[in-house]
Amino acid sequence: MKKILQLSLGIITSVGGFLEIGSVTTAAQAGAQFGYKLLWAILLGTLCLIFLIEMSGRLAAVSKHTIVDAIRERFGFPFFFFVLLGTVLVAFMVLVAELGGIGFALQILMGIRFPWWALPVSFVVWLLMWKGTFSLIENGASLLGLVTVSFVVAALRLNPDWTSAASGLLPTLPDDDKSKYWFLAVSILGASISPYLTFFYSSGAIEDKWDRTYLPINRVIAAFGMTFGGLLSMAVLIVAALALRPKGIQVETFQQAALMMTTALPKWGFYLFALSMLFACFGAALEISLAISYFFSQGFGWNWSEDVEPSSDARFAFVYTLIIGFAAVPLMFGVDPIKITMMSMALTSATLPLAIVPFLFLMNDPIYLGKHRNGWISNTVVGVVILISFVLAVVSIPLEIMGG
Amino acid sequence: MHLVRDVLDKKLMDREDCPMGRVGGLVMHVGESGPPRVTHILVGGPTLWMRIHPALGRLSSALGQMWGPRRKEPAKIPWSRVETVGREVKLDVEGKDTGALDWEIWVARHIIEHIPGGGSEEEE
Amino acid sequence: MKRLLFATVILLVSCKPPTPAEQMDAILSWVGSAIVLGNGWLRHTTPDTYTRQTLTLSHDQLRQIGAELLKSPPATIDSTELDGALTRSGTHLARMAQLVEARNSPGFNQVLDSLELDQKALKQLSDKIESSQ
Repeated sequence: MKKILQLSLGIITSVGGFLEIGSVTTAAQAGAQFGYKLLWAILLGTLCLIFLIEMSGRLAAVSKHTIVDAIRERFGFPFFFFVLLGTVLVAFMVLVAELGGIGFALQILMGIRFPWWALPVSFVVWLLMWKGTFSLIENGASLLGLVTVSFVVAALRLNPDWTSAASGLLPTLPDDDKSKYWFLAVSILGASISPYLTFFYSSGAIEDKWDRTYLPINRVIAAFGMTFGGLLSMAVLIVAALALRPKGIQVETFQQAALMMTTALPKWGFYLFALSMLFACFGAALEISLAISYFFSQGFGWNWSEDVEPSSDARFAFVYTLIIGFAAVPLMFGVDPIKITMMSMALTSATLPLAIVPFLFLMNDPIYLGKHRNGWISNTVVGVVILISFVLAVVSIPLEIMGG
Repeated sequence: MHLVRDVLDKKLMDREDCPMGRVGGLVMHVGESGPPRVTHILVGGPTLWMRIHPALGRLSSALGQMWGPRRKEPAKIPWSRVETVGREVKLDVEGKDTGALDWEIWVARHIIEHIPGGGSEEEE
Repeated sequence: MKRLLFATVILLVSCKPPTPAEQMDAILSWVGSAIVLGNGWLRHTTPDTYTRQTLTLSHDQLRQIGAELLKSPPATIDSTELDGALTRSGTHLARMAQLVEARNSPGFNQVLDSLELDQKALKQLSDKIESSQ
């Protein structure tokens, strides 16, 4: 009974926690500019994420190690530190973007510009980390995040031509703006395959004391949770394609993104958009803060747990206090969260091999996984997608500069 | 026992099963007769940074003298205190007495406990 | 080192100068946004503050991009015509923001109609620029 409850909760929290400013911005820009043509990037990213999440859960349940524990122990401190630098730097940028997303949502709701929200928002995020437990954070934020299902409702209301949409699931080049197309593809992949999600998930599995009996649940949560989440991203793209593209509206700003929902759901669309972004970015900010703190704490062997008082895991608490504080600073000075979002999504893609290749090695190591090692399918899917993401990132970013 | 694979970078647990950090380094005694043997486990920043580059190790050491618990040397735990080596390295010591938790205690007392709701380390 | 390179490259991406066709697309995007927004406001589906602020933003963006475009306008179009269309749109956007503040729906509706005519004119100019590229 407990396991069924955990299963349902796991799927719900995956769905509610899927969308955040990166996935919404990239999907909205893609839909507004290229119609359905980039649906394949969301599909590919989601597929890869399903395998990665399943792997994180399996590693934790079988080896009783989180990914970070295992990276430190298997590869040693110097390599671990190298991975830490790259991964945490990018994750920090994403955190800034998420806090900015919360600020923007409040800006369009209340009319007060987002830099003014930077400090109060950071404070609330920090307070929830300081006082809350892992369950409260994971479940509470993700349940609230279910308001993002309104994007699916909006997509259905707009009555898409499903055959046209389905054709977007296979890569087709646009007639022009090819460099922007590939840059967006890279950003979508980076938005879907965020390494911090895997660190967060494996830490959660350890906090919840998973063992081998949880392996089936883990598979179901990964498959269903991430699939439904991916469908949410696709819904955003479809709404943008139908509501914004015909009117020539590009999504340069958050304020313009809101217009896709006001068109699709005239009465409540605006508020649903604002609340969706508010809760989705909130959940993501909490997850990323936790993931970064987990990375430091697990890597250095400090006490870490969201279920104890801060003084019992002082360095863990100190890390998230520091990063949340620092993350507010660029926003206070008015740095555009949308620009940071696009930058960090592309950078995530470019640095994926750094986080995921060691992880793949671990998933094939009999010392950690015994007979539960990766099969050829997991290795192939993850390996291929990471390679594609990396190559695309390296190629498309300079192409974007040279103008295609 | 394969020291690098089985001991280095592993989590350390004290006699009460409390985490004490990770094995940062090992001290070996190379005598005139007999094989080299491990004498101590090292825990702490300078040891770790030294593994990336000796200059970083020295910098870490220097910074450690100016701030925090101001340890002159890394925490050193005699190898004789090792009970078992498995998923973790289990030690027959009290974590707080080894010096391995000096930074944790320092951050708790000087920073965390001053923030409302931070709790008190001594309550445990 | 690689990461630093990527970061620099991405910074450069955001600084890459846009082509006239891209600038016109951006202008049309802002005008289009204002029209959708305006229609939404008239139906009471968007709040006053958000509408006013976004209209002001559209106006500012239009002025900024328009000024850049007029510095070196493409030879295929009449730059006086472009200047005129941009000025009219800008004025209409500013007026719409004021009318939202005054909660004057009938007045707003009239100016919105004018903005839709501006959009047509700008679209014709944009098509000329695109076809020459």
